[in-house]
Amino acid sequence: MTAVQESARVLANDRLGRDTYRIRLECPELASRIRPGQFVMVRADRPNDPLLGRPFALYDTVLDGQGAVVGIDIVYLVVGKTTGLLAQSAAGDRIGLWGPLGNGFRPIESAGHIALIAGGIGQTPFLAYARELLGTRGFAGSDPKKRAERVTVYYGVRSAEYAAGVSDFEAAGCTVRLTSNDGTIGVKGFVTDLVASELPADRWIACGPEPMLHAVSDLANRLGIPCDVSLETPMACGLGICFSCVTKIRTPDGWDYKRVCVDGPVFDACNVVW
Amino acid sequence: MVDLSVSLGRLRLPNPILVASGTFGYAREMAGLVDFARLGGIIPKTVTQKPRIGNPPPRTHETAAGMLNAIGLDNDGLEHFCTHHLPYLRTLPAPIIANIAGSDADEFVAMAARVGRESGLAAVELNLSCPNVAHGTDYATDPAVTTRIVRGCRDACPYPIIAKLTPNVTDIRVIARAAADGGADAVSCVNTFVGMAIDWKRRKPILGNITGGLSGPAIKPLALRAVWQVAGLGAVPVVGVGGIATVDDVMEFIVAGATAVQLGTVNFYDPTAATRIVGELESAAGHLGVSRIADVIGSARVQPG
Ligand SMILES: Cc1cc2nc3c(=O)[nH]c(=O)nc-3n(C[C@H](O)[C@H](O)[C@H](O)COP(=O)(O)OP(=O)(O)OC[C@H]3O[C@@H](n4cnc5c(N)ncnc54)[C@H](O)[C@@H]3O)c2cc1C
Ligand SMILES: Cc1cc2nc3c(=O)[nH]c(=O)nc-3n(C[C@H](O)[C@H](O)[C@H](O)COP(=O)(O)O)c2cc1C
Ligand code: FES
Repeated sequence: MTAVQESARVLANDRLGRDTYRIRLECPELASRIRPGQFVMVRADRPNDPLLGRPFALYDTVLDGQGAVVGIDIVYLVVGKTTGLLAQSAAGDRIGLWGPLGNGFRPIESAGHIALIAGGIGQTPFLAYARELLGTRGFAGSDPKKRAERVTVYYGVRSAEYAAGVSDFEAAGCTVRLTSNDGTIGVKGFVTDLVASELPADRWIACGPEPMLHAVSDLANRLGIPCDVSLETPMACGLGICFSCVTKIRTPDGWDYKRVCVDGPVFDACNVVW
Repeated sequence: MVDLSVSLGRLRLPNPILVASGTFGYAREMAGLVDFARLGGIIPKTVTQKPRIGNPPPRTHETAAGMLNAIGLDNDGLEHFCTHHLPYLRTLPAPIIANIAGSDADEFVAMAARVGRESGLAAVELNLSCPNVAHGTDYATDPAVTTRIVRGCRDACPYPIIAKLTPNVTDIRVIARAAADGGADAVSCVNTFVGMAIDWKRRKPILGNITGGLSGPAIKPLALRAVWQVAGLGAVPVVGVGGIATVDDVMEFIVAGATAVQLGTVNFYDPTAATRIVGELESAAGHLGVSRIADVIGSARVQPG
C-alpha cells in the first residue's frame, strides 16, 4: 500500500527496559495500511538537527474502544540523536512520520511451528508478526486468521535489564526463550547458540545485528531450514529515492546492490551476501 | 490567481518547483505519496551509458544540517532507462527532464541523441558535475569542454538542454558562460560540494568512497551565492539548487535570479515538501504584489553605495 506522511501526536511514551521505550503515535492513515515487518520513518520535530528521518519497525497497531485502528506503537533503544529526542517526548508532542515502508514479512497462509529469532533491539518487528501468525490481529484491512500452529520467540539480550516486551510476546501467545550475554536472564550465551542447540521450527525469521543474522542464516542454510532475515541497514529516506541503504543480494550472475528500504528489509537468508 | 509558469530558454514549466536528480528516484517510488501533477517537473536519477554498480556503503552520512553522499551513479544504464523507466515516466502528469552523464564528450552527445529519439521528455539535463565518480568533475571544471559537450548535445537532441554545474570550481561564472556559449537553455546551480567525514575513534573515513557531496540546508547560502553570481551574468537562465526546503528558500532563490528551483535532500526528510511549497507560492508572490511569479525573478536589489 502506498505510503502517507503524517504529523503524529504522541499518545504515550513508556519505559520498557534499560534505555528502551515504547512510544504510541496517533496516525490513523498510516496505521490502517501497515503490516508486520514494514517500517516507518520517524523525524523528530526539530528544524535541521537531526536532519533525516530514522527507520523504526512496526511494533503493534493501536486500536480504539470500537476496534478502529488509530495509531502504532514503536519500541526503540536510545543510541543517538533521534532516539535520544524520542525518549524526551511526552504525550501531546508531535513527530513527523511517513510509511508504511518496505516489503514486510512473508505472508504465510498456514504453517506449523515458526521461530522468530531476535538479538539486541531486533525483537521489535516480531510482536505484530506473531499476532498476525497466531490470528489475534489483522493488519492493513485483513481479518485476523490463524496462520501458524505455534510461534516461539528466541530473544537474546546483553543483560536482563535490556529485555523489553517479553510480557507482550507472552500475552500474544508466543513461547519466549531468552538468552543473555551475562546470564542475568534466560540461558547464558548468545541467542544463536540456543537456536543451534534446539534447532526449532519449520521456518525461521531473524532480526538483529548483522553478525547475528549472518550466523543464523549460515545455520539455517546448512540445515536447509527456510529462513528470512530483516536487516537494520542505516537509511536516509526509507522511500527508495536516495540509493544509500544498499546491500549485496545474490543475482543469477553474481550479486547486485539492492535497496533495503524497498526490496527489503526482509530478505530470504539464502540471497544475502554477507 | 497568480501565474506560476516560467520559461527557461525553450523549456516552459507550469511552476518553478522541480525535484532534483538523485533525490526522487525514478519517481515511481513516490507514487501515491506525492501528487506529481502539482510539480513543475521531475528530474529522475542520473543515467549513464552503461550500468554502474555504484560505490560501496556507507554511501551517505548525516552532518550538521546536511548530509554527505557518495552513491556513485548506481544505475542500470541508458537502455534500461529508455525501456523500463521512461515508459512509466512519460505517463506522469508533470514535465520529465532526463538527466544524463557521459564518461566523455562523445558519450554525452551519443546519449543526448539516444534520449532525443524518445518521446515524452520536456528537457535533458546534463550532469556535468557528479563529484563521486573518478574524474567526474573534469568536464564542468573546464570551460572549453563544457562548451563542446553542451553544443554537441544541443545539436544532437531536439529537447531543451540544461547544464548542471558543479560548485567545486574557482569561479562558477566561467563555466556558466561556457555552457551558455554552447547553447544551454539553462544552467542548474549547483550540484553538491565535495566534503568528507571521519570516524576518529576508528581512525578512518566514514564513507565507502572516502569523499562525498554535501547537500541540504547547510549549503543553501553557498548555492544562493552561486545563483546570484551566475544570474548576474545575464547570459543564461538559472535553475537554483542547494538546501531548498521551504517556500521562503524558494523565494530567496527566485529573487536572487533563479527562474526555477530544484528540491533535493528535502525530499528525503519531508517527502511532500515540494507539492506543499507549490501551494504556498501563490501567497508568497501575492506578498510581493505580483500576479506572475516570473515578474520577481532576479528582482533583488543591491543598495547603491
Ligand atoms: C528497517 C529498520 C527497522 C528498525 N527498527 C528499529 C526499532 O524498531 N527499534 C529501534 O530501536 N531501532 C530500530 N532500527 C534501528 C534505528 O533505525 C537506529 O537505531 C536509529 O536510526 C538510530 O538513530 P539515532 O538518531 O538515535 O542515532 P544516530 O545519532 O543516528 O546514531 C547513533 C549511533 O548509532 C549508529 N547507527 C545509527 N543507525 C544505525 C543502524 N541502523 N545500524 C547500526 N548502527 C547505527 C551510528 O553510526 C552512530 O554511531 C531499525 C532500523 C531499520 C533499518
Ligand atoms: C543522495 C543524493 C544523490 C544525488 N544524485 C544525483 C544524481 O544522480 N545526479 C545529479 O545530477 N545530482 C545528484 N545529486 C545532487 C542533487 O540533485 C542536488 O544538486 C544537490 O543535492 C543539492 O541540492 P539539495 O541541497 O537540495 O539536496 C544527489 C544528491 C544527493 C543528496
Ligand atoms: S534509504 Fe533511501 S533508498 Fe533506501
